[in-house]
Amino acid sequence: MEGNVTTVKPSSEHTRPFAQYRSIDDRYDEFIGVDGKPREHWVALAKHFDRLGLNGIQEYSDESARAVHESGANIRITREQQVRPWQLNIIPLVIAADSWQELESGLQQRVRLLEVVLSDLLGPKRLIHEKVFPPELLSANPHYWRAYHELSNAVPKLNVTATDLARDDDGSWWATGDRTRAPSGLGFALENRIITGRLLPRLMRTGNVIRLASFFESLQGQLYSLASDYAKARVAILTPEKSSYRYVEDAYLAKYLGCSFVEGRDLTVRGNRIHLRTLGGLVPIDVLFRHISDSEVDPLELNPDSKLGVPGLLDAIRGGNIAVANGVGSALAEMPALLPFLNAASHFFFGEDLTVRNIPTYWCGGVSEMKYVIEHLDELIIRDAFKISGQEPIDASMMTSDQRADLISKIQAAPHCYVGQKRPARSRTPIWSKDGLDSWHVALRTFHLQTADTVDVLPGGLVRVSPDPHSLDHSPISGRLGQDCWVVGEEPVNHQKTLLPPSNAKVQIKRVGSELPSRVAENLFWLGRYSERAESIARLLRVTISRIAGESSIEQLPDLPRLIASLAAVGQIAPDYAVQELQKSLPQLDVVLPRSLFSSIEQGGIRQCVGRIVDQAIATRDRLSMDAYRLITKMGDEILDGNARSNCDMAAAIELINRLIGDLLAFSGLTHESMTRTHGWRFLELGRRIERGYQTAELLEICLVKDCKDNKPLLESILHATDSLMTYRSRYLLQMSPAPLLDLLITDETNPRSIAFQIKDICQLIEELPTESNNRRGKSAKSICQSLYKACRNADPESLAESSKDEFRSELSRVLWRLMSDLPLISDHLTAQYFLHLGTAQSLSGRSNDKYSTVKNN
Amino acid sequence: MQYQITHLTSYDYSDPVGLCHNQLRMLPRNMMNANLHSTCHSAEVLISPAPTFRFEHTDYFGNRVLTFSIERAHRRLSVTASSRVEISIPEIDFGSDTRSWEDHLANLKAGTDENWLEIEEFTHPSPRIQPSAIFQNYAQHVFTPNRPLLECAIALTQKIHDDFRYDPEATQVDTTIEQVFETRAGVCQDFAQVQIACLRSLGLPAKYVSGYLRTNPPPGQSKKIGADESHAWVSLYAGHEMGWVDLDPTNCKPVDCDYIPTAIGRDYSEASPMRGVAIGGGEATLTVSVNVEPVSDSKTLSPRNSS
Repeated sequence: MEGNVTTVKPSSEHTRPFAQYRSIDDRYDEFIGVDGKPREHWVALAKHFDRLGLNGIQEYSDESARAVHESGANIRITREQQVRPWQLNIIPLVIAADSWQELESGLQQRVRLLEVVLSDLLGPKRLIHEKVFPPELLSANPHYWRAYHELSNAVPKLNVTATDLARDDDGSWWATGDRTRAPSGLGFALENRIITGRLLPRLMRTGNVIRLASFFESLQGQLYSLASDYAKARVAILTPEKSSYRYVEDAYLAKYLGCSFVEGRDLTVRGNRIHLRTLGGLVPIDVLFRHISDSEVDPLELNPDSKLGVPGLLDAIRGGNIAVANGVGSALAEMPALLPFLNAASHFFFGEDLTVRNIPTYWCGGVSEMKYVIEHLDELIIRDAFKISGQEPIDASMMTSDQRADLISKIQAAPHCYVGQKRPARSRTPIWSKDGLDSWHVALRTFHLQTADTVDVLPGGLVRVSPDPHSLDHSPISGRLGQDCWVVGEEPVNHQKTLLPPSNAKVQIKRVGSELPSRVAENLFWLGRYSERAESIARLLRVTISRIAGESSIEQLPDLPRLIASLAAVGQIAPDYAVQELQKSLPQLDVVLPRSLFSSIEQGGIRQCVGRIVDQAIATRDRLSMDAYRLITKMGDEILDGNARSNCDMAAAIELINRLIGDLLAFSGLTHESMTRTHGWRFLELGRRIERGYQTAELLEICLVKDCKDNKPLLESILHATDSLMTYRSRYLLQMSPAPLLDLLITDETNPRSIAFQIKDICQLIEELPTESNNRRGKSAKSICQSLYKACRNADPESLAESSKDEFRSELSRVLWRLMSDLPLISDHLTAQYFLHLGTAQSLSGRSNDKYSTVKNN
Repeated sequence: MQYQITHLTSYDYSDPVGLCHNQLRMLPRNMMNANLHSTCHSAEVLISPAPTFRFEHTDYFGNRVLTFSIERAHRRLSVTASSRVEISIPEIDFGSDTRSWEDHLANLKAGTDENWLEIEEFTHPSPRIQPSAIFQNYAQHVFTPNRPLLECAIALTQKIHDDFRYDPEATQVDTTIEQVFETRAGVCQDFAQVQIACLRSLGLPAKYVSGYLRTNPPPGQSKKIGADESHAWVSLYAGHEMGWVDLDPTNCKPVDCDYIPTAIGRDYSEASPMRGVAIGGGEATLTVSVNVEPVSDSKTLSPRNSS
């Protein structure tokens, strides 16, 4: 074989991992054939990697890990959550095109069968009448809502489906289950390909790897074609709430397919049509590619507790005003209890066997099947007969005898609720680990798109690998690593396909993006507020630490108590430090201040702000530039993942703060320079301005309302913390005095750090927001802001600085208190006017002794 | 017997409701059960304020469903369903079928009944009714070995009536049947669902029927308008010859011509007269009144009050 031709020097053998790879056991080996030689379709890839050698492959592997980390699909839901279910391994799974075609036609047959089975179950039920299927598959199925029958009969119901496969020892594939509701993994499969393709472009081209793009093109086409007017159609991906693992890849898919990315609470039904709530008003949606459970899509007719769906959706389907893919009720076609009967259904409808065999599955509703399952409990995994869930199947082999007896009595009590399934033998394939190749077991998920007349199979799929074959049986996200899947042909393939529109296509010029979902506007607003808050605290902390780290001893720093009080006010340190009498009993400041930044136990202050920044950035992922998002990811990594730090002293703290401030400024600069001036930008900016105004007012209130004797260091520290020292010095040189400082920080409209500047900007931004015609009477954000602006302009720095005999600056106090109460009020008004479209939902039951269950919908 | 039924439901809200979506099962369906035939001659629903959108369809069980939405602010929603329904009650002899309940069960399991598919689905758990050992044990007090099915079923109706207290304060719309069973108190919906749970836990098919009950004023007094009730009872499948037999555990009797069915389902969740979602509204005050008025004066058939 080609791979072995170049074997000359045994010494280089260990640096050529593929040449060294051997199959381990009787499992089918994807790379090595029965003759002990590499399979033909792997040769090019094996040679390529052997040429790279161990170090070369490791470099690629590191590069791939970085790419995954930064890639678009790398969206963490929260800081705590895993980036994605598995890391991508640099070695793909390679499958020959001719054997793939065989599998492909089997999968096409399977999709067609599942479609007719589903149509029959939700229609005439011939399969049950004719006793091909036992009636309990429906009648005892808790996930079978009768309302599924009351929808349109549009076909296909199954647009996108997936099948989980395992390769048997003889090289044939077993189907272990199907996903017919809203299969996950399509986004990850795409991401895997994009990353691998970026790292191995030449190998991919010369290796004739069949492209995935045309599948996604068909998917896009199919989704749009479901609308009555293709040209004007608006397609949205309906995703579960943020905490779902689906959210990540849905955001990625939406971006790639050019669809809107929405949650149920972004949608509302008006006049029997689905609309997206945006700041600019309601925008109709024609097609929903929904990734939420069937029973969750409409609380009016299905699960009344659902927060993920849209009340009135089913009626809109009946009215023909919305197309939903996959059809509501599609989940029935994936129930595990169907597997044992599918072949009979294939005979019933098509008069033929299924080409892709099912893994032996025993539905316990049959007497002999239940007996078999109980007798062979150790060899089987036990699943819910009716629903595929994220939960692990039951593995009796790991049970104590008590647990086993308990399981058996559960099965006997409701046999039709369980299936027993054989564990498949799973083929092995090479994977890269740090010091060479390992041989791990494979699970392949294929994806299929059914259009009016064809079934397209994605040439590839989602590959999960694990050293333990059993772990792959557990759930669609189990397994240790992911791999790309290459289907390689004999012929060169067309490389031009991509979903980007051709460059000569005519594009309608658009200027305004008023279709900003209210939810996203809210996230941007808070992103602005938290990033500004983080910066304020960081500056204050830096000043304080620098003072302590300076030459004077702590007792000699007259400004320190007020700085500490300010830090306590923003939650950076415990409030006890603000009380001087208590300070003695507390740990030393030179320990506490750095710790407040580094320790993961500390939840307030900067750490909290950065956590929120990351959360908001995740939620507005599709509105931020890649660069901005990367900055925030980096910030999150630096501030929040710092547990392993060895050096936690003040110098390290200052260094970290410097980096953080730099990143925050870079983020602010990016949003300024590369975000279009849409409503989204305005809300981000409003958040910043309101926060900066508030933080400055609070700092001044704590530090200056009470006059003190030696105020020079304090005034300097304040100017440091507000980034205005340079300006001050350029105006007044070394003369430190309260009045000029208050002018610079409160009344001077030309200083972008002054309060007046913030308020002027807020006024202008509010002016540009869409207004509703039925503006309520009473104070609005606009009127509050305008009168605040007047108050700031009219304030006289001299009288602000004036203090009474008891060293109290009453005028300053009055102005600052007003700011500190009115700025949050503006925020509340904006929230009420723009974000809380939703109000509180309550359910009506018409029953007289109801307790009204009110559900807050936001 | 022909009735004119007026069913008024209104919600008064402390705050405006901006948007509501509702679904009604108040338009009576036709029904041909063993001891209760009903034919709806006419039915209409008036909604105020006028809905932005309304649509009628027939659900899986053959009930008539009206879905509507009101998309402008309102402080009061009123729904008036008026219908004219003809009720007749075939005489059946509950003692004629002497086959034991176990025989009936065996027949069902054999799947030889031509309606087996329709019947079978009423033997399984449904969203609000999960049959279990507690209901089975309770039912077995009267479902003793080799006793005729209908005799057992009527005894169960009697037993529930005797053991449970009618108390509108005891339960709410989201009270589970397990809680009802525990406290032994509730309203017609609860009693019907408990009886269904008992029957299904034995493997017997049982439906939930929602409708109206005409109440008869004490002798010498005229009936108050609106004093009639919306009601719920049970339908039990009693074999191919007999069909579905309707029983009322609340009043401890098989149904008679005072009963007017509107919808059926596996439980309350599938047959309730109204469900909906409203945005806003604050405190809501519900008023319901039902008036069942006999239409014909020429008919000699008088309402039969069973003892």
